[in-house]
Amino acid sequence: MMQLGMRGCLKPAAILLISTLALGACSGGSSGSGSGGSPAKGGLRLAMVTDVGGLGDKSFNDSAYAGLKKAKADLGADIEVLESKSAADYQPNLTVLADGGYDDIFAIGFLMNKDLAQVAKNHPQGHFAIVDAVVDLPNVTSITFREQDASFLAGALAARVSKTKMIGFLGGLDIPLLRKFEAGFSAGAHQVDPSVKVEVKYVGSFEDVASGKELASVLLNDHVDVIYVAAGKSGLGAIGAIRDTPNVYAIGVDSDQDDLAKGKILTSVLKRVDVAVFHVAQDAKNKKKPSGHLELGLKDDGVGLTEFQYTRAIIGAKTIAEVGRLRQAIIAGKITPPQTREELQNYKPVKL
Amino acid sequence: MSGPLVDFVELTLVKAAPLIYAALAGVLCERAGILNIALEGQLTVGAFTGVAVAFLTGSPLLGLVAGIAAGALAGALLGIAATRFGVDQIVAGTGLNLLALGGCAFGLTVVFGQPGASSEVHSLGGRGEWILIALAFLAAIVLHFALYRTAWGLRVRACGENPKAVRSAGIDPRNVRLIATMIAGGLAGLGGVYLSLGELDLYSDGMTAGRGFIALAAVIFGRWTPFGAMGAAIGFGALAALQFTLQRSGIPSELMQALPYLAALAALTGIAGRARAPQSDGVPYTE
Repeated sequence: MMQLGMRGCLKPAAILLISTLALGACSGGSSGSGSGGSPAKGGLRLAMVTDVGGLGDKSFNDSAYAGLKKAKADLGADIEVLESKSAADYQPNLTVLADGGYDDIFAIGFLMNKDLAQVAKNHPQGHFAIVDAVVDLPNVTSITFREQDASFLAGALAARVSKTKMIGFLGGLDIPLLRKFEAGFSAGAHQVDPSVKVEVKYVGSFEDVASGKELASVLLNDHVDVIYVAAGKSGLGAIGAIRDTPNVYAIGVDSDQDDLAKGKILTSVLKRVDVAVFHVAQDAKNKKKPSGHLELGLKDDGVGLTEFQYTRAIIGAKTIAEVGRLRQAIIAGKITPPQTREELQNYKPVKL
Repeated sequence: MSGPLVDFVELTLVKAAPLIYAALAGVLCERAGILNIALEGQLTVGAFTGVAVAFLTGSPLLGLVAGIAAGALAGALLGIAATRFGVDQIVAGTGLNLLALGGCAFGLTVVFGQPGASSEVHSLGGRGEWILIALAFLAAIVLHFALYRTAWGLRVRACGENPKAVRSAGIDPRNVRLIATMIAGGLAGLGGVYLSLGELDLYSDGMTAGRGFIALAAVIFGRWTPFGAMGAAIGFGALAALQFTLQRSGIPSELMQALPYLAALAALTGIAGRARAPQSDGVPYTE
């Protein structure tokens, strides 16, 4: 329950109420989540707009929200969340928050880039941040991740674990963002073993669980024995198929999915949206001039692999050490994983 | 037995089964004179209810029965709106699709306490999946027999062509249509159960992913007959299977995904032979 009695919360609560009513009238699809009871100590006020997955997706949006909650706990920020039920909600949600005078407003997801640019232009005094897209405006911080770096490590790991020397990549939509995962994964595999074959499939949807399972079966029938699953909810079907088949493994993505099928998910490629959100919040708190483009990689813990909690024995200490060395090489700039198919074609394994 | 061809045929059947159920539902409705664009919603309701009941009771069989019943109920809503209130069937169908999606998303948080996707439940298993695939073909044969060889079938078809003639025979076309939408809803619900409890073991928002609309295309391409719709559904299933195996071989996958709709357009415009909908398809019957 929201505690409306506290003075510090009255204003956001009122904004929330008005926004809910306003959005309810035009889109019928937006809900706010309460800012809780603690008043703003430093006067820092932060807000975010989720993508259509919304809170509770155990992935992207939840991760951003975790960063916001950390800002509330550590920086004493007042926080506000508006959820988008469809793409039509992006602009109204962003506008409502922009009118609310927040220090920073986070747009979670590249699909919001056009709407955010519009709102940021109309509110030059406000400051905004967007995840996974680059919006080139003075009052917008663009947050992107070097997904190809962590995917490179996943590729090396997959190539080492594979017995058949056939590994697979299963993506959601064939878009540039997902191709960063694909290119990094392939390059990582070829870095440790050029003879490994990487089969690439795309579901064509982040929601089609059945097709995710069917495509995983197609890969397994082709003797692929490790699949890197970067397909949102479609990936649940793929992980299901892998769980039911002996001697094959998955690599999860975005959040820690190792628990979904213990011992069958070698590792998960983490994308720490929470770290990025907190980073930007800290800049705002310290009145530091926000950066225009923030690109997080292995060094900043913006991306990384989980700790092989259930799969250490399957992977083996030798491979784990090798992946650690590759990680250091990427951080040191000795290896630059490719992020497009063109770069992948020209990529040559680096001698370490 | 295995091999590329066997894998391809298997994948085709797996892809085709939910389309067959939904397309048969579409054929039955439209032959009775009700345009059912709510197939997508009925698939969704069946898929969700099946998983929810399997979760609550621990029995996938009860889930199966409940999924069919929920589909029939969703069909009845369309039937009642169309026959008792004379609502525009496209508007009612669109509304029901949205209601199904929103209702199941809400039900997910109530039953499983989490949004997005359910936890895993006991499914019907691999054997259950193949029984449901076989049942889809059997359903086509039964529907064909029922529509063309029984008095009930004659009444249904007459309702789709000329409901006034049915009325003059002393039968209320509205009742015939309502029953048809309920049976159709049950069929589509079974298609949803196939997805969530047959092929998979969970429900996830948006998991039907447009299969209800591809089934509508199959109804048209199949000339509003059970065997035609089944054949079209198998064809579309084969296309999807081909798309899966031939990805990135030069043919854009978006084009492959659009092919069912192009095929339906071709059928409607007469490029692929003459297609004629039942004369009173989508026309409300009033006295």
